[in-house]
Amino acid sequence: MNKILAIIGRDLKSGTRDWLIIYLSLASILVALLLRALIPSVGESTLSLVVLQDMSPGLLAHLDDQARVSQVPNIAALRERVLRIDDVFGVVETDQGFEIVRQGNENIPMEAPLRFILNSYGREAAPLPMQVAFSDVGWRLSPIKLEGGTLLIIFTTVFGGMLILLNLVEEKMSNTLSAINVAPLHRSQFIIGKGILGFIIPIIGGISAAMILGFSGINISMFLVTVVAIAFISIIIGFSIGVLNNEPIAAISGMKMVYFPILASIFGAMFLPSRWLPILYWSPFYWAYDSMRAILLQEASWGQVSFNAAVILALTGVVFMLLRKKIQHGLQ
Amino acid sequence: MIKVQGLYHSYTHDHVYAVKNANFEIAPGEIFGFLGPSGAGKSTTQGVMTGLLPLQQGVVQVAGYDMRLRQRELFNKIGVSFEQSNVYSKLTALENLEFYGKLFDVPTLDPMQLLHLVGLDGVAKNKAGTFSKGMKHRLTFIRSMLNNPAIWFLDEPTTGLDPAISRKIIEIVKDKNAEGATVFLTTHNMQVADELCHRVAFIIDGEIKLIDSPRNLKLQFGEKIVVVDHRVDDTTKREQFSLVKPDDMARLQTLLQTGKIEMMHTKEATLEEIFIQVTGRGLL
Ligand SMILES: Nc1ncnc2c1ncn2[C@@H]1O[C@H](COP(=O)(O)OP(=O)(O)O)[C@@H](O)[C@H]1O
Ligand SMILES: [Mg+2]
Repeated sequence: MNKILAIIGRDLKSGTRDWLIIYLSLASILVALLLRALIPSVGESTLSLVVLQDMSPGLLAHLDDQARVSQVPNIAALRERVLRIDDVFGVVETDQGFEIVRQGNENIPMEAPLRFILNSYGREAAPLPMQVAFSDVGWRLSPIKLEGGTLLIIFTTVFGGMLILLNLVEEKMSNTLSAINVAPLHRSQFIIGKGILGFIIPIIGGISAAMILGFSGINISMFLVTVVAIAFISIIIGFSIGVLNNEPIAAISGMKMVYFPILASIFGAMFLPSRWLPILYWSPFYWAYDSMRAILLQEASWGQVSFNAAVILALTGVVFMLLRKKIQHGLQ
Repeated sequence: MIKVQGLYHSYTHDHVYAVKNANFEIAPGEIFGFLGPSGAGKSTTQGVMTGLLPLQQGVVQVAGYDMRLRQRELFNKIGVSFEQSNVYSKLTALENLEFYGKLFDVPTLDPMQLLHLVGLDGVAKNKAGTFSKGMKHRLTFIRSMLNNPAIWFLDEPTTGLDPAISRKIIEIVKDKNAEGATVFLTTHNMQVADELCHRVAFIIDGEIKLIDSPRNLKLQFGEKIVVVDHRVDDTTKREQFSLVKPDDMARLQTLLQTGKIEMMHTKEATLEEIFIQVTGRGLL
């Protein structure tokens, strides 16, 4: 166990001194942040309001209960905020009651619930059943967030595989693998030590990406099962390419060659009509996409997730059997 | 301590052998030298003995372990230094040693002390990637000492090092041997072999030509070299003749009959000369 930790510790230490590895580890988080910054509205499933600072405290508190509220000093700033790319409604108190400032192109029909909230002001007892409905509406209507998030999370496992590949190529290139081979370390300890980061990176990266994109209500266990299953195949691909190459550029291009068709199957899954989907059944990434999308939508069942995970692991098993000799030989 | 019997190794898995029918035994506490020119099969033999290469044919026992069984515990008892230095360039010298030390089940030596031993203590916190070739080589060398090995495999430990560092390495090997370590050393440097080894094996084209102590070899071959200074036109030419090689004998005879000999004496052969006599080839 200590030896496995030593291997992991070494890879981490060495990784923090390598920009490519730092980048790969953080890539999914960076992309998630980017996605979120570019399309703010898809990141928000609740009602966002902008109000003036001098709004009466009672109303402010009431709105704050129901929506995400930000304050601006004057009406010009309020209009400016409403005009930005995301969906924010302005609420201004007038003598008659309220004025709703809107841009007119808001994706999500939030106006009715907003009126409802405003009308309920002063009648606290009135039931507010709408809130649950908002988030659902918001989610279904955010294809970029859903598809982008699914793709990103699956990509994270590929990054994990690449990380392993780079660490292995480093060992081969410097021939430190020979030094490892004359240390009292079992082959399995070495493989586990080298492989674990391939699970940890996608788990951390995937969960962070999901949280950043606002998928906070997902079933984490299903999420983990799917990420771990798909990480297996990424790691095996990373291992086999890593041990067969002595040089990082060749290894990465080898990785790209292998991943390209596989990742293409995810796009196939997104765009192909369902009667064509069986042509993607060979790809573990198709099954991962199928699970992950359902998980993000909060529509996944354990039946679906475990069936897909089993298919992924079975496909992984086949790939592993095919590549086992090569991996073993390459670690020699 | 080490037993090798009928060892063959082919990289191509055919009858092109890098090592052919090697047989030798190494006693505890012995420094055993494997001497031969580049490409002779020295590293290959060491590779099989340390488990880096698979044992294809023959028997290899190291510290009582049968190398065919590939038991990892053996590696607690042996140390291996490589011909080509191999260290993690993104880790510091100290981190390289600390990491490697964690892979052993036995107590390991203090990395700082080892670094001090080869004059690397001043750069302990520098990344190995910034090191010169000689510094990396020294780091590789001391890494092989971490577990205080009972059997120490050294592949060309002094090759490519400047004389002062070579000397340092030789002294360290002597000290460790005095503490009881058995050493298997490959080299194509005859002075090193002569100074360090209790016995040497001459290897060429994968075959061991003879095994003996440097002293015995010199006694056996030493008197049989004749150095002759003779005049050719206006200059003095010095030539050596072996008294065991028919070619040399014939040339010497001709020279005695026809040449203008100025001076003639026998001399003790160096290990290098003996190697040339025995194998008919030089070491480089
Ligand atoms: N990895 C390898 N693959 C194929 N042939 C090799 C390999 N390593 C060494 N050889 C060949 O085996 C022979 C012995 O090499 P080696 O044991 O490295 O010699 P030495 O250490 O005495 O210089 C040489 O002919 C060399 O070309
Ligand atoms: Mg060699």
